[in-house]
Amino acid sequence: MISRVDPEFKQELHKYGLREWNECFHCGNCTAICPLTKDDNLFPRRGIRLAQMGLKKQLVSSVDPWLCYYCGECTETCPRNANPGELMMVLRRYLTSCYDWTGISRLFYTRKIWELAAIILIALGVIISFLVFLPPSPDLFSKPQAFINEQGGVMINSLANGISASRFVQLIEYGDLLMAILVAGFLISNIFHMFYRVILSDRNLKFPFYSYFTEFWSLIYNFVTQARFSKCDNRTYWIGHLLVMTGYTIMFTLIVAFLKEFQIEEIKPWYHWQRLLGYYSTFGILFFLIYTFIGRIRKTDLKMQFSHPSDWMFIVLLFFTAVTGILIHIFRVSGLPAATYFTYLIHLAFLVPMIVIEVPFSKWSHLAYRPFAVYFDRLRRAGQNRQSIVELTPAI
Amino acid sequence: MSEYDRIGIIFCDPPSGYTPVDLSDLIIFVRDNLKIPVIIDQPRYLFSDFHVLMETIRHHRLTSVILAGIRPERFRQIVRTAMTKLGYQAESVVIADFGDTWCVYESQVQNVYELLERVHSQVVDKRHQSSHIQQDTIVIGAGIAGIQASLEIANAGLKVYLIEKSGTIGGHMAKFDKTFPTLDCAACILTPKMVEVGQHPLIELMTCSEVVAVNGTPGHYKVTVRQSPRWVDVKSCIGCGTCSEKCPVKVSSEFDEGTTMRKAIYMPFPQAVPNKYLIDGEACRFIQEGKCGVCVKVCPVTGCINLYEVPREIEIEAGNIIVANGFKPFQASRIDRFGYGKYPNVLTSLEFERLINAAGPTGGEITFRTTDKKGNSVFVNDSGKPQKIGIIHCVGSRDENFNPYCSKVCCMYSLKLAHLVREKLPSAEIFEYFIDMRAFGKGYEEFYCRIQDEGVRMIRGKTARVDQIDGHLHLRTEDIIAGRMLEQDMDMIILSIGLEPADDQKKLSDILGIDVDEYGWFKAVRYEIDPVRTNRPGIWIAGVCQGPKDIPDSVVQASAAAAGVLQSIMSDRLTDSEVFPLTYMIN
Ligand code: SF4
Ligand code: SF4
Ligand code: SF4
Ligand code: SF4
Repeated sequence: MISRVDPEFKQELHKYGLREWNECFHCGNCTAICPLTKDDNLFPRRGIRLAQMGLKKQLVSSVDPWLCYYCGECTETCPRNANPGELMMVLRRYLTSCYDWTGISRLFYTRKIWELAAIILIALGVIISFLVFLPPSPDLFSKPQAFINEQGGVMINSLANGISASRFVQLIEYGDLLMAILVAGFLISNIFHMFYRVILSDRNLKFPFYSYFTEFWSLIYNFVTQARFSKCDNRTYWIGHLLVMTGYTIMFTLIVAFLKEFQIEEIKPWYHWQRLLGYYSTFGILFFLIYTFIGRIRKTDLKMQFSHPSDWMFIVLLFFTAVTGILIHIFRVSGLPAATYFTYLIHLAFLVPMIVIEVPFSKWSHLAYRPFAVYFDRLRRAGQNRQSIVELTPAI
Repeated sequence: MSEYDRIGIIFCDPPSGYTPVDLSDLIIFVRDNLKIPVIIDQPRYLFSDFHVLMETIRHHRLTSVILAGIRPERFRQIVRTAMTKLGYQAESVVIADFGDTWCVYESQVQNVYELLERVHSQVVDKRHQSSHIQQDTIVIGAGIAGIQASLEIANAGLKVYLIEKSGTIGGHMAKFDKTFPTLDCAACILTPKMVEVGQHPLIELMTCSEVVAVNGTPGHYKVTVRQSPRWVDVKSCIGCGTCSEKCPVKVSSEFDEGTTMRKAIYMPFPQAVPNKYLIDGEACRFIQEGKCGVCVKVCPVTGCINLYEVPREIEIEAGNIIVANGFKPFQASRIDRFGYGKYPNVLTSLEFERLINAAGPTGGEITFRTTDKKGNSVFVNDSGKPQKIGIIHCVGSRDENFNPYCSKVCCMYSLKLAHLVREKLPSAEIFEYFIDMRAFGKGYEEFYCRIQDEGVRMIRGKTARVDQIDGHLHLRTEDIIAGRMLEQDMDMIILSIGLEPADDQKKLSDILGIDVDEYGWFKAVRYEIDPVRTNRPGIWIAGVCQGPKDIPDSVVQASAAAAGVLQSIMSDRLTDSEVFPLTYMIN
């Protein structure tokens, strides 16, 4: 294989948050200290090498950056302070933009103003269409009692003017569906693109077809347990990820697939499973948020020392979504229909852009790419094709 | 210098392109304020004819010349040649450079006055400074560098005070088994030199001594040395060892890097110089608690052991001081990933050096470290032989978290250790884990190849951690060349620890007034061309205290320092370009 060395690649990576990499003298300490490397998964050092040489093709076909969970041990012990862990982070951003065939992701990562603009645009779109299709009932202020049910809570689905509760839920569901289709469409096509770059484009890679099925469990397992994290010494980090991932997924499933059951007029007692799930998710997300907020601001943790704008964007959106979500719940329970309506509106204005932008194009996509990376990595291993791996290692 | 010393100042023509300036004010200032007797103004003719120049200097009986003006450097060489031909030193020509802005004379006039004042006072001072410099030399530190420097000077017929902190001379080299790359027996090279130092009539050896203060001026230093008690009189001790036999206190031996035990009254090692016993005050029961005194009772020489001896301070006058206080090995336990101090069979290179030495704890057998009944870790002969030995390079060196510099010797001594293991355990598997193999000296690369041929496996990749799992030492390393992760089980690990400035380095630099670099090593003013001269005239550095180096380099530097000292004594002057610069510029 002929590899073209591209010394300009560094400039490109700068936009993804790269600071410096010349310090690295390729001692291999980072690879050896990493609790997640084994056999021929030589990250992070090989990633540094590929990046330094600008071997984009090899980089894009390598899943190594996704196998790193950024425990920061490599960075802590790197004898040259080359910060290999952060480079893995940068490469993940870069890979996200490479997998995204639309180019939107690249745009968002490299020009933060675009990401911001897109978020505002979508938020405005949500607000306008909400106000058009589900305008507030004029009685919200004049006759607030009309919206209160027998438990003393707000009947959330009856707040729009002249629209019945079932119609309300239905309309929201349509919106949900539209969003889900959009997001899933982009994400799945991106994952397929990743699959193409990692597996299909490698001509030398041959593995039995049944591996697709036999290795599939690793995908599920890793998604559900985030198990690779637990190998890192820092348990809080893993727990934080586990909490936010499950919380987020539960919420997502509830509002997209079970909206009818979830968003009902009646206020269930606090021990009802729906409310418990809701509380769990809220707790999970809040725990994670507080942990990361503190980490990124105080920068005591090595891996949170350098924050790319996209890291903040994601946390901030999630934060406001969570806060407005909690507020809706509070207003509902306390019987404040007008406040509920408008908070609901604002909630959607944060939630929708967060999902539409972050899931397929930005930081959130790692939720999908990581387990798929493990899956693809296992497929490659099933091929037992050392040939291609050796080729991945350019001159040392 | 002679009594009819005369300073002359020559105001040189500006280089072409500069407008000549009227110097009358300046000349009046020089004549009336500085009282320079000979003033030559813009002598177009002077430098074009060497003969005229010589005649002018002779005529005015000049002994020092100040060349002033815009870039007067241009004429330095010719004037210097003339002065040296007339028997004066090259330093008798001093430059006062007004700088290129001289043409805007008005704004510079004050600065030029100040410059000339400064130059003049230096030239005058230098005249007064030069009385005969003290001929005695102090050498601080008696490792191989200090020994070498002392012998060079003493063999030239001059007196040396050799000041050593510990109880014996020899330093780190005395602990080594072999030297690289020639595999000579280290003791066979060092011991004769040590003996020579011990017997040399011109070397006054002061053990257990430290320099605590330095006063005086270059060439006339007054050095205060604090001599701690040995509690055993060096002159009367016959070295019989009866005291040591009977002494009830056992502590671990510094010389053997803690691999053996010694008594509180002890001989550091059999070839120690002076070959006399001494007491470790911190371990001795009598000195600490006031009871015991067994050694005094058994000593056959009355009055030899004096448990009431107190420290004393001695003042020595010396013209020159050579600092050769060596280094401190990197403390391996600072990197907890390698498990040193936690796992008994992770050794430092120095411990291994003692282990493999025929005079070491096992008589040169490589065995495991175990814990004895009393809880001390010991090497015993019947504990089996390691079959897989890993040597980890760059421990504490080339690492921003510890010492960013390369310690220079560890690659080579690691190869040497691998060779020694191969000799003693022909069937053992030996691995070296390195970042880069630095084998740069004469014969070093060949040595590296030879060790490779002996079947030692070279792995490019820094081992990241060592864990003890089921009694084995488990290593994780990236084998960069092969492109795979290595997870191996070893029986014994040797950490190639680097070198660090000695503990007393900072204190010494304060006492002596010499600079240290960013890592704490002593700084040579211009390392490339004058690696032994410090910022203080008459104070020289040699050996590792200036920066990591191996034995041959230390010896070379020690000889160079001795040459500097001898030169200053022979020529009866100390030159130092930093203290007495020959070119002055406007600030
Ligand atoms: S990033 Fe650091 S630890 Fe990794 S190879 Fe480079 S210098 Fe070594
Ligand atoms: S951050 Fe942790 S998981 Fe990622 S490469 Fe470094 S050591 Fe491995
Ligand atoms: S007095 Fe001190 S040195 Fe002498 S025998 Fe007792 S403990 Fe040992
Ligand atoms: S000499 Fe070798 S082992 Fe020692 S610090 Fe330098 S490179 Fe590392």
